[in-house]
Amino acid sequence: MTKVLSLLWLCGLLLAVPALAADWKMDPAGSKLEFIATFEKTPVPGAFKEFDARVRFDPDKPAGGSLDVTIKVTSADMNIPDVNKEIRGKDWFDYAAFPHAEFHSADLRRDGKRYVARGTLTLKGVKQPLEVPFTWTAGDGAVMEGEFTVKRGAFGIGLGEWAAADVIGADVKVKFKVKLRKG
Amino acid sequence: MLRNASDSWGAPAKLFHWVMAALILAQIALGLMAANWRVSPTKIELFFWHKSTGMLILALVGLRILWRLANPTPELPAGMAAWERAAARLGHFLLYALMVALPVTGWIINSASNVPFRIFWLIPLPAIVAPDEPTADLFALVHGGLFTLLALVLVAHIGAALRHHFVKRNTMLIRMLPGTWRTP
Repeated sequence: MTKVLSLLWLCGLLLAVPALAADWKMDPAGSKLEFIATFEKTPVPGAFKEFDARVRFDPDKPAGGSLDVTIKVTSADMNIPDVNKEIRGKDWFDYAAFPHAEFHSADLRRDGKRYVARGTLTLKGVKQPLEVPFTWTAGDGAVMEGEFTVKRGAFGIGLGEWAAADVIGADVKVKFKVKLRKG
Repeated sequence: MLRNASDSWGAPAKLFHWVMAALILAQIALGLMAANWRVSPTKIELFFWHKSTGMLILALVGLRILWRLANPTPELPAGMAAWERAAARLGHFLLYALMVALPVTGWIINSASNVPFRIFWLIPLPAIVAPDEPTADLFALVHGGLFTLLALVLVAHIGAALRHHFVKRNTMLIRMLPGTWRTP
């Protein structure tokens, strides 16, 4: 009897395995994390060249998944040499004090054809709740893509006279494409 | 009187002259302030207006050159020495050349420094050179050098106009003023 029970239990376990969210690792070569600021109402694109995402996700059962992203803030590149010098400073990203940013979510849900990860973004030492919408495309591995907007002021990006939003806009659009491999 | 005659400027030519004179003086002030201001939102604002005004000047000088070529140019007053005529021709040629070259070199600086920019917030300015810091630095020097030349030519231009009016007592200055001025 115990043998039958344990067999049943084993079968149940085996059946349950495919339903468990899979672990995914990022392929940096096919991934990008961009941010688009505005100067005088004109978009100025930038990117964090180095970041990493660890994803636990099953598109059929998003609940129980998780998303953990670490961003090397000091890898920011806005493609303009003078601007790249400026953003290192205390008024902007403050590379010396806050070289990393993080996003963690353990609340992944379906939202129509997309998904949403609700979590916390820690940037420049400030923690703020953030909803990250994304699409999931399976194929050779999987690709997560999405965009959202953050208020730079909420994280103290642009202090003092830079806080005013008329010259450098308050909204920063973040766009990401994360190529994932099972692992 | 829209068209120029052999002894008078038409209204469009006068309008080009005075509107651009005002824009160029404002542009010089904006450029000097923008270049020397400490890094701040105000500096970005000053550069925004300097670049927008520069592109407006470039568009206007294009139209102005077409209008000048399509019209007779009023003759220089009689009794000018050969060197004065030569200096006047050279000075006016330089003014036109600088009204083109200053905006174009500014445009090159903006392109080489890879700063996205919309003229008066509206028209995206395309890049005319690839992003490259040494190119931006080089053309910043050229732009500054051309500005120095413009300042010298402007002093000569204004000085010569005042000399025609107050010393030689001819109608050179008066005939560029708005309204109809008859040669006595």
